[in-house]
Order: sequence, then C-alpha cells, then structure tokens
Amino acid sequence: MLATDRHAWTNRWRFIHPGEKALFVVGLLAADFALPAASVAHQVFAAAFLATVIGAKVPARAFWGVMVVPAGFLLAGLPALAVSVQLEGAGPLLSLSPEGLALAVAVQLRSLAAVACLAFLILTTPIPDLLALARRLGMPPALVELAYLMHRLVFVVLERASAARQAQEARLGYRNFKTSIRSLGLLVGGLFLRSLDRGRRLDTGLAARGYQGDLRVLSAEPELSVKRLALAVLMTVVVVASALVWP
Amino acid sequence: MHIMEGYLPPLHALAWTVAAVPFVLRGARKVAKLMEERRETRLLLAASGAFAFMLSALKLPSVTGSCSHPTGVGLGAILFGPSITTVLGSIVLLFQALLLAHGGLTTLGANIFSMAIVGPWVSFFVLRSVGALGAPQAVGVFLAAMLGDLATYCVTACQLALAFPDPASGFGGALVKFLAIFAVTQVPLAIIEGLVTVVAVNLMLQYSREEMFAVAFLKGGAFLKGGAR
Repeated sequence: MLATDRHAWTNRWRFIHPGEKALFVVGLLAADFALPAASVAHQVFAAAFLATVIGAKVPARAFWGVMVVPAGFLLAGLPALAVSVQLEGAGPLLSLSPEGLALAVAVQLRSLAAVACLAFLILTTPIPDLLALARRLGMPPALVELAYLMHRLVFVVLERASAARQAQEARLGYRNFKTSIRSLGLLVGGLFLRSLDRGRRLDTGLAARGYQGDLRVLSAEPELSVKRLALAVLMTVVVVASALVWP
Repeated sequence: MHIMEGYLPPLHALAWTVAAVPFVLRGARKVAKLMEERRETRLLLAASGAFAFMLSALKLPSVTGSCSHPTGVGLGAILFGPSITTVLGSIVLLFQALLLAHGGLTTLGANIFSMAIVGPWVSFFVLRSVGALGAPQAVGVFLAAMLGDLATYCVTACQLALAFPDPASGFGGALVKFLAIFAVTQVPLAIIEGLVTVVAVNLMLQYSREEMFAVAFLKGGAFLKGGAR
C-alpha cells in the first residue's frame, strides 16, 4: 500500500470538497510561477506544509516522505543548469557562471515549492475525488472511467509484482546481471498475462451481476463551501502579500 | 526521467500541454469507441493500464549502480499500438504524479509528449521497419524498446534545453549538455530495457500466443501490422 494513498483516505480534510483543496493549490502554484522564486518560494512551501500538517493533520513524516525523492532529483539536476557549455574553440568548455548558478537555484526553489503543493494535494485528496473533479473540468468521460477502473486494479497488480519479485529473489533470481535480466523479463511477461486474466475474470464476474458498462457506487458528495473557497483565496493573497512585503 | 512539478516555465508547460492534447484526444476517442462497442475491453484495458503503472515501480538492474525503472513505451506500442498506448501512458503519468509525486501536474503535458506520444510512435515505426526488413522478431522487439526509451529521453533533453538555453551557447549548447548527461545515465538503461522486453515478449508468445492475439484491442499492436508473426 502506498503511503500517499493511505493518508489521502484518512486525513482530517478527506471530506472537504476537492474543488476547495484544488483552488488552494492552484492559487499557490500561480503565486509560485508569477513572482520571483527567491521571494515567494519559501512562503508557498510553508503554506503547503502547514496546510498539510496542521490543517489536514497528516504526519509531517509523510510529507517529508513524499518530498524526499523529488528533492533528491532536484539536487542532482542542479549542476546541469548551473554549468554552462562553450562549443566554439578547441573543444567543449565547461564554465560556472554566477547567472547560471542564480538561475539554477531559482528553478530549484520554484520547483521544490511546487512539489510541496502537489504533496499537499495528494496527501489530502484520494484519486477518485480528483478524477470526479477532472470530469467536471472537461476530461473526456471515457478517460475518467478508464482511470477509475485502473485505480482499482493498480494496487492488486503492485501486490502481485512484489510477491513475484520476492519469490524470484528467494530463488536467487537476481544473483547476477544475466539472471536479473531474465527474471525481470519473466516477471513483466507473466504479470501482463495475469493482469489480462484478472481483467477478464473481473469482467465475467461483473457481467453475471448485470454490469452494463458503468459501476454505480454510493458516494457522499461533500458540499462546496463558499467560506472555505474564500479562505483558499485569502491564503494565496497572504502568500503573495508577504512575498511582496519581504522580497 | 520525468520533468518535475514546477520545473518548466509556465509558457513552456502550457505549450507542451497544447501539443499533447490532440494526440490524447484522438487516442481517447479510439478507446471510447472500443469500450462502447465491446464492453469486455473495459476491464482488459484497465488491467493493462494498471500493469503499465506497475512497470514504473520496477527497478531495473543497472551496471553503473544507479537505479531506474523501465519506461514501458516499447512494450506498450508492441502490445496495444501507439494511440492506445498514448491513452494508457497519459493516465499512468497522471497516477505517478498523484500517487508518488513523480512528475507533476503542470508538467504533465510535457511528460505525456515525450513518454506517451513520441516514445510509443518511435517504437512502433522501428518495429514495423525492422519487421519489413525481415530481421528476426527478437531484434525488432529489442530495437523498438531500446530506441523508444532513448527517443523519450532525447525529447526530454530538447524540452529542457528549450526551457533553459545555455547562457553562453544557447539552445544548441544546452541540448548537448542535457544529451550528454542522459547518454551516460540512460543508454545503459535503454539497452537493459530492450533486453528485458525481449524476454517478456518471448514468454508471452510462448505461453499464451492465442490468448494474446484473441484480445480485440491488441490488434492495434505493431506486432501484427509489422508482419512479425
């Protein structure tokens, strides 16, 4: 089970309308993109972190858990932006320029703040809620439905993959490079056939229960609260104002 | 490698999204028609999509010690054909952003363009041309998976170079820079993905050839069109 999914279903803001949380994120992202990163990124990051940890009562550890991999990627990408290449002359010449470094740091800060917004969204809102929102915003219905069904099956397939991997490892399947390639190929091929079989059996089972192509489930539709929408906008205003006052 | 949330400037993010939308919509229409006409394909498509998501959770063995996951673009194009792969790949990328914070929502368009559009189409054409040349099927599968993976990274390098041209040498210099980084890290991984895909496809063909070809939506796959049977 994925940590993000678990917290998305159990946090305190689970039953708040996804539109309100999305508006908050959109506002923060817009501020993050519109203003210079050096002045706004910290505030955006802080707002996303506080909303996740204090507002939705998601453990801070979970927030850092989501952030750690993207942050690592960002750090690894820092030199790529900071170093400049000169192609003319005897050969490619690498140089480190102050403006290159400034650009690199600005991009990293902006991106880190944006990932924090994404972390807030995914730790507080389950995927089906977001898909329902996407359907209203014009995502093609066929895509939405396919995504719903996929979301149901993703966790089943993941579990199977890890069980198969464990079994292969127990049989020394990843002992060296050659066996690793073979084991992984067999895992992938085998799991595809199993996934198809799973889909087919599920379809048979559903057809026996009168499945006509859409799954009806009882879902509690939370009310859209004007007060909370206003609060989301207010938060954006506070972030922007603080960035303008203390650049 | 996915482009992270917030990494691209807003105009670039928007432009790549606009570029990706027609491909996704075309694929979505095809999928919608399929799901409408043959109800049983719904769950098969969903199961295939879940499988594609699982691929991104797998770790590839690597010679350099770095770890990465397969893109699956080649396998997708081989099994479902490029337009359905675009749809499944787009949803997979969305889920990667929403479940793992891998990639992002603002950069979704750019990532779809490189991973769910260019990669699968390159794999598709490679498989077809190799099939037409009469080379053994395993060679076609290997090249399709490897070149599809590489094409994905070349597009990502272009996207990054366009967004962040080098202060001294402009777009060209930045492209060389990003391609050089990817060449070191991604070429070995692309070769490994090619090998793994060959093993996987061989297993599927040996174990349940009939079953695979019987599934209606698999008929779009490059396999059958390339005459690689």
